[in-house]
Formats: sequence, structure tokens, C-alpha cells
Amino acid sequence: MSNVLSTGTGALIAFQRALSTVSHNVANINTEGYSRQRSEFATRTPTDYGFGYVGSGTRITDVQRVADQLAISRLLDSGGELARLQQLSGLSDRVDTLFSDTATNLAGVWSNFFDSASALSSNASSSAERRNLLDNAGALATRFRQLSAQLDGLSDEVDNGLTAGADEVNRLAGEIARLNGQIGSGAANASPDLLDRRDQLISELVGHTGGSAVSQDGGAVNVYTAGGQALVVGSNASTMIMAADPYQPGRLQLALRTQGADVALDSRAVGGQLGGLLEFRSGLLDPTRAELGRIATGLAASFNDAHRQGMDLYGAMGGDFFTIPAPAVTGHRGNGGSATLSAAVGDMGALDGQNLLLSFDGSQWSASRADTGASVPLSGTGTAADPLRANGIEVTVGGSAASGDRFLLQPTAGVAGGLSLAVTDPSSIAAASPVKAGADLGNLGSGSIGRPTVTDASHPALLSPAAIEFIDANQYTLDGAGPYAYSAGQTISANGWSVVVEGAPMAGDTFTVGATGADSSDNGNARLLAAVENAKAFNGGTVTLNGAIAGLTTAVGSAARQADYSAQAQTVINDQAQAARDAVSGVNLDEEAADMLKLQQAYQAASQIIATADTLFQSILSAVRR
Amino acid sequence: MNNRISTGMMFSQSVATMLAKQARLAHLEQQLATGKRLVTAKDDPVAAGTAVGLDRAAAELERFGRNADNVQNRLGLQENSLAQAGDMMARANELAIQANNASLSADDRKAVSAELQSIRDGLLSLANATDGAGRYLFAGAADATAPFPESGGTVAYSGDQTQRRVEVAPETYVADALPGSEIFMRIRTGDGSVDAHAAAANTGTGLLTDFGREASSGSWNGGSYQVRFTAADAYEIVDGGGSVVSTGSFAAGEDIVFNGLRMHVEGQPAAGDAFDIGAASSRDVFSTLQGLIDTLQTDSVTPVETAARQNALQSAMRDLSRASERMIDARASGGAQLAGLDNAAELREASSVTLQTTLSSLRDLDYAGAIGQYKLESAALQAAQTLFSQMQAMSLFNTIR
Repeated sequence: MSNVLSTGTGALIAFQRALSTVSHNVANINTEGYSRQRSEFATRTPTDYGFGYVGSGTRITDVQRVADQLAISRLLDSGGELARLQQLSGLSDRVDTLFSDTATNLAGVWSNFFDSASALSSNASSSAERRNLLDNAGALATRFRQLSAQLDGLSDEVDNGLTAGADEVNRLAGEIARLNGQIGSGAANASPDLLDRRDQLISELVGHTGGSAVSQDGGAVNVYTAGGQALVVGSNASTMIMAADPYQPGRLQLALRTQGADVALDSRAVGGQLGGLLEFRSGLLDPTRAELGRIATGLAASFNDAHRQGMDLYGAMGGDFFTIPAPAVTGHRGNGGSATLSAAVGDMGALDGQNLLLSFDGSQWSASRADTGASVPLSGTGTAADPLRANGIEVTVGGSAASGDRFLLQPTAGVAGGLSLAVTDPSSIAAASPVKAGADLGNLGSGSIGRPTVTDASHPALLSPAAIEFIDANQYTLDGAGPYAYSAGQTISANGWSVVVEGAPMAGDTFTVGATGADSSDNGNARLLAAVENAKAFNGGTVTLNGAIAGLTTAVGSAARQADYSAQAQTVINDQAQAARDAVSGVNLDEEAADMLKLQQAYQAASQIIATADTLFQSILSAVRR
Repeated sequence: MNNRISTGMMFSQSVATMLAKQARLAHLEQQLATGKRLVTAKDDPVAAGTAVGLDRAAAELERFGRNADNVQNRLGLQENSLAQAGDMMARANELAIQANNASLSADDRKAVSAELQSIRDGLLSLANATDGAGRYLFAGAADATAPFPESGGTVAYSGDQTQRRVEVAPETYVADALPGSEIFMRIRTGDGSVDAHAAAANTGTGLLTDFGREASSGSWNGGSYQVRFTAADAYEIVDGGGSVVSTGSFAAGEDIVFNGLRMHVEGQPAAGDAFDIGAASSRDVFSTLQGLIDTLQTDSVTPVETAARQNALQSAMRDLSRASERMIDARASGGAQLAGLDNAAELREASSVTLQTTLSSLRDLDYAGAIGQYKLESAALQAAQTLFSQMQAMSLFNTIR
């Protein structure tokens, strides 16, 4: 009888405990990373009565955490990758919007600027058209600066994101290490909730850094970044720090503090959100800034070249139209020599905007790509007469470099932020050709002279008057020199200009070539200015400025699209991993409800057993009372 | 296949589906509102890049259209001025013919010369016309100052000979207004290549009525000759160096032909009279008119003076014809540029239609498709929402009472 009573009470307690596990499951349905728990029942040790064993009820042997480590590590992998791609896609979208929205992109103001140059060519003396060109040029330069500032802002955001991410990584890694210590080597005996908590922290950490978690001896879990750097080993956590870029003190680099040295982490070494930030910076932001700078450099150089070939309303030769900063060269902070390098754009066609590392081995300079490390051909010695030439950039070395000194050359990154107008006076726009040609009004022959073309705007005698006099129909003198033979349609060149004479001049006919002079409405140079957009300035003379802008739009759009596609694909993969994990570990309310009903009924049954035991006991009592 | 599914998963999957549908609907809404298939370059990077180039080409075409308007305005002004100048030249010619009438009195001729004077002044004002923007129309590129200043009765040209070319369609250029030097200055005299004059000191009544080139007598070497009358019926021909190249006898009504040239003298030249013939020089229209005016203002009483006046008038009328021809040529050249503008306008129109069609196919939204898609997505969203509400109601806990 006591047996029945103890079986009943034992069952009551067991079912109560099991019900509390069910309620724990139900209560934690919204807890991130919670793995459902299951009470394991077992029979109590039976009592041997000689004739056999009589069961003595049930007991709970274990409250088990239902988890599949394989599913969890798959989810960990895909979660880290998803965090990386979502970060990358989100930031890429912002650059894409920046370059697609007509309110912020380059194409609209760019088009207006060249339209106003074309307008100037139709009405070269009009002060309204000149003002308009200056205004549109100002708007274009401002747009370049705004875009550059926006990209700089994104770069700052990346820095802030990295700093905040590194703090979070350090906190998470520290907590995981602490939990590793608490759990010790006996994961089997550890509380399921503690294990869940650790798995959840690991998944958060991997969301920041990517990588993997490896169980060690069934107890501690070690966490590594995507590149294999240890973040947590046992109860030790590494520290992630933000260190200044050795070449650019204003820029932060992610690094891992290990014994003795800081290991810089790049986008290949880290995944997760931090990896997404790093990849965005190196894969989209930096190339976009470089390309924007390259377009600004191309615009400034080509337009200035054309502008210097013309003459303004004062009768003076045109100067620079835009000003743009020179390429930046910064030394490594560990450099031992006193060398300072200054760079200038030499060959626009060879300029590709890639950052280069210039290093000195004691006798020779060499160049390599800053991102891939691939060697880049370098020529020259570094003197002013023979500068170092690589990728269209000319670098002059001042002072003396020590062996092992390194310099970072950024040909175009950031220069778009310094684009501004050099011309502020509308009358200083050089719209006219500097030289003009005319036939003497007394000429009797049918010879005519075309418009002179400027072949060398810096020729010292460009503006000197020159006379072409025909001694007879077939010979002419040029400023008294000659005679030279003439045939119709001949090109005559001198003093940095060339001009075509056609028809049949007669003896004594004179043609003059001379300075255009002040206040001319000639549009010869305005036409050249308007044509700058279609001049093939880039990639060895194969890509126009317009083409480069279209290319930039496509490049940014492609990057955003690719990141978006990858993120979408990874979302599906992650959803599957999540489903796989939840299929094992997730709480199902219906299941819990069924369990609850089952346990409730079992509990009622066990209560009934106690009642029965009581009845038995009462009947004995009543039997012996008589 | 595992039949187990967690309640959280059911919820989060349904929510994720609804979120995805909503994002898709928001994108479609944006597309429908803007009418653009490409909201950002991400939607089709290559098309977006191509559209940047095509947009620029379309804007350029529009700008070329406005450039063409500028040129058209100036060519139209040139056309008006030249039409007016043509009328003036016709009137001057009429007046010269009228003045050549022997029955006119000296006073009549003075009246004619007064009208010619006003024509000359009018022509000079036309030549110094502005384009309405404060720049002189016929000054080439040096159009800040009046191109035809007059001093001491002589009109000079201070403009230059630059004729601007303006791009009015891709790689299609139209020439702007002609420089004044090509309209009013440097007009060949005589018949355009040969010119002849009676010497001023002639004492006979010989009238030079016609001259020109005559291929039957060999080819003209371009030199100047003088037909010098040694007697009333004999002449000798002297070349530029002063040596006699041939002699002949003169009969009224017969041409004098030599060395590729021909000259017709009527009336009675006296011994010692001379007629010069040679390459035509060039002269501006203002001095031609001034010469005509001066001729008409001189008194001519004697037959010799009358003959001299008639010779001068004949010469002036020939020069006026050349000037008129030059203005007609200038009008024709302006007309050709205007026709060029029309061609360019057609070209722009055609290119613009092509560009817009391409741009539209690259960028514009297919409304029918997008609206269909929108309906489909919103139906799907509604279905997902219904499913969600159904699903969340299905809990075993609801049935346990």
C-alpha cells in the first residue's frame, strides 16, 4: 500500500516537473536561440519480492536540451555570411542611390555644363552665355565635391561601424570566454539554458565577424574569424582594436591584438557585419572614390588643355579653367628616410586610379598595387627631369629615402573633393581661337584662307602677325622667308598654328594670320571646349569622359545588384538553416499543448492512484476497527 | 524530411513572406509612380549606364536645336539686310541708267545723285547693322565695333574675315553670318575678270561700250594693255612695259581684238586718246557709288565732257552690277546655310525620336505588365495575410478549455 502511495506521489512529482518543463518551453517560445527541453522519464528501481520485481513508479532522469550541433553550426555559418552580405548590400544601395538619383548624381549637371559650353559656341560674345557656363561649371564642381563628401561620409560611417563592431566583438568574446569557463569541460552536465546562452552569443559574435565555432573536448567552444584568427580560445578572449592606418593617420584599420603584435584584419580575414563593412570599403567605396576622382581629373585636365588654347575677351590666352589637387602621396609612419614625394598626373590615358605602394630598396624604387600587391611597371629615377612614372602618374622624390621606406600613392582618391573653378570672370573664358586669318582686301585671285588651327598654344610667336605673300600663282613667301611652292589646298604651318590656303591666288595676293584680339565673338575655342566631353581621354584613348560617367553608373549599379542578389540567395540559405535548426530545437505550441494534456491527465491519474491508496488504507482501517 | 516545425518558425516564415511581398509592392509602387523601370542603377546596371550616355546625347540634340535658333536668327537678319541691300542696288542701277539719258539736264542729274547719296548712306547703315544683341552683324568675329567706319568719304573695313561655324547637329556645322568684307568690300570691277577704262585726258568722243575676253585671238596672259590712237583711224597696242605689241586700223563699229582681249569703241576717238584694258581690280560698293555720285555732280557741257561722263557712267554701272551679283551670291550662301539648318533640324528630329525610343525601352515602365504584377503581388500579400490570421488561430491551446 505504501508502495502504491509512493508510486503515486513519485509520479505526481515527476509529472509536475515535466509540466514545468513544458511551461518553460512555452514561456521561452520567443527567446532567441532557445532550444526546447524534454523531460526524460525512467522507471524507478523495482523491488524484488522473491516472486519477481514489482515496479515502484517513475522518476525524471534528465531534462534534456534538444539540439543538433550540425544544424547549429550550419546556421552559424550562414548567419555570418548573411550578416556580411546584408551589410554590404545595404551600404552599396546607398552608393547606388547616390549615383542614380538625378538630384544627387553627376549626369544631370554634367550634361548642363557641356550644354552651356555648346551654347557658348553658338553665341561666343554673349555675357549671358558666359555667365551661364561659369554657373554650370560651378554647379558641376560643387556636385563633384558633394559626391566626394557623401562618399567621405560613408567612409566615416564605415569607421564608426568598425569601431562599434569591434567593441561589440570584444564584449561578446569576453562573455563567451566567461561562459566557457563556467561550463568547463562537462558540457553534458551543464545547464541547457547556459548552453543556449553560449550558442546565442556565439551566433551574435559570428554575425559580426563571420567564421566558425569549434567544440573542444566536449566543453569549451573556440571561435575563429572567417580568416582563421582566434577570437575565443577556451576562457581566453582576443581583443579587437581600431588602429590608425600607417599611411593615412585619419583612417582606421581593424586589427586583432594578439601576443605581442597587432594583426591587421582585411575583408578576407573577417566576415559578418565587420567583413561587410571592410568589403564595402575596399570593394566599392574606395574604387568609386578613385573613379570619381579620375573623372574629375580627366575633366579638369582636358578642359584646362582646351581652355589654354583659346583667347579670352581681353585678348589674353586662356589659363586654367578648373583647379584640382595633385595626387596624394603619403609616407608610411615607420619610414626612416627624409624623402618627401610629390606627384602629378602625366599621362591621362594611362591613369587608372588604383592606389599604388612605392617602396625603396636602397637603390631602386618599385611599385605595386596597394590592394592585390601585384607588381606595377615603374620607370624613371625620381628627379624632376626624369620622374618616377607608373600608371600615368609622375612622382618626384625630394630629400633622400632610406632603404625599406614605403609610400602610398593615391592617384585620384579624394581629388574630386578639391575640384573648383579657377575662372571667376565671365570675360576670362577663352572662347575664341587665339589666331585669325584674313585675305588682303586688294587680293585679285580666287585664293581663300581657312581658319587657322592652333597646334602649339605655348609657341612664343603664336600671336605674332604673319603674312603669306604670293609672288606668283605657284610660290609664296612667309614673312619674307621662302619662296615656297604652293599647290591649292596646301596647309601652311608656322608659329604654332597651321592654316589651309585654297583656290588660285594671283601674284601680289597677301594673306595675314595674326592675333584674334580683344572682344572677339569668335567661337573657335568654344567648339573645342564643347567637344571635350567626347575626347577619348581615358584608358589609352579608348574611353571618353561621357563613357567614364556611364561606366561609373554601371559599376556602382552592378556592385549593388550583385550584393543584393547574393544577400537574397544567402537569405534563402539562412532560412533553410534556420528551419533545419528550428525543426529540431524550436518549440511547437501544439506539441507542448499535447504534452501538457498528456501530463495533466497523467497527473490526474496519479492523483487517483493516491486516492485509491487512501481507499485501500481506509478499508483496512475500517476492517480492523470492529 | 522532418515533419516537426516550430511555432516560432511558422510565425517568422509568414512574417518574412509578408515583408518580402510588401517590399516588392513598394518597389512596384515606386516604379508606377515614376513611370520608370529603372528606379536606381541596381535595377539594370548596363541599361542605366547606357541611359546616361543616351540622355547626354538627347540633351545635346536639344542644345543643338537652340544653337540652330541662334544662328537662324542671325542668318535671318542677314537675309533681311541683304534683301534690302539688293533693292537699293536695283534702284541705284535704275538711277544710273536714268542718268545716262542724254536728255537729262544737269539739275536732273544732281537730283539723281542726291538719291544715290541717300542709297549709299542707307547701304552703309545696313552694313553697320547690329544683330539685336549689340554685336555688329557684318563684322566677322571683330563685331564689337562698327565694321565700316567712314572717314574723308572713304569707307574702310575694320572687321575681320572670320566666319563662325556653329554645330547644329552632331558633327554638322552651319556658317554664321558672312563677314562684311565678303559682301561690301573687294568686289571685282568690270566684268569680274577684265576691266577697261577710257583715259581721263581723252580729247575725242570715243565711247568704250563693251570689252571682254576673246579666245579667237589667243589666250590672255593677265597683263594690262593700252589701246592708244595714233590717228583717228589707227591705233597701237602697248603692253604694261610700254612696248608696242601690235598695231591696227580703227573703223567705227568694229571690235579691237588682240592677245585674247576684245574692246568695242564707238564714236570718234582723237589721236592721242587711250583706252586701258587689263585685269579687273577690286573695289568696295561704297566707292563705286561715290564715284557715280561724283560723276553726276560734275558739269558736262562739251561733247568731250559728255563722252567722258558716259564712259564713267558705263564703268560705274558695270561695277554696280558686280556689286549686285555679290549681294545675290551672299544671299544665296545665307540661304544655303538656312537650308542646312532645316536639314539639321530634320536630322535632329529623327535622331531624337530614335534616342527617345531607345531610352524609353531601356528605362520606361511597361505599365500593363507592372500593373498586372502589382495586382498579383497584392493578391499574394492578401493571401499571405489571410493565411497568417488562419494559422495563428489554429492552436491546440485554443481548443483546450
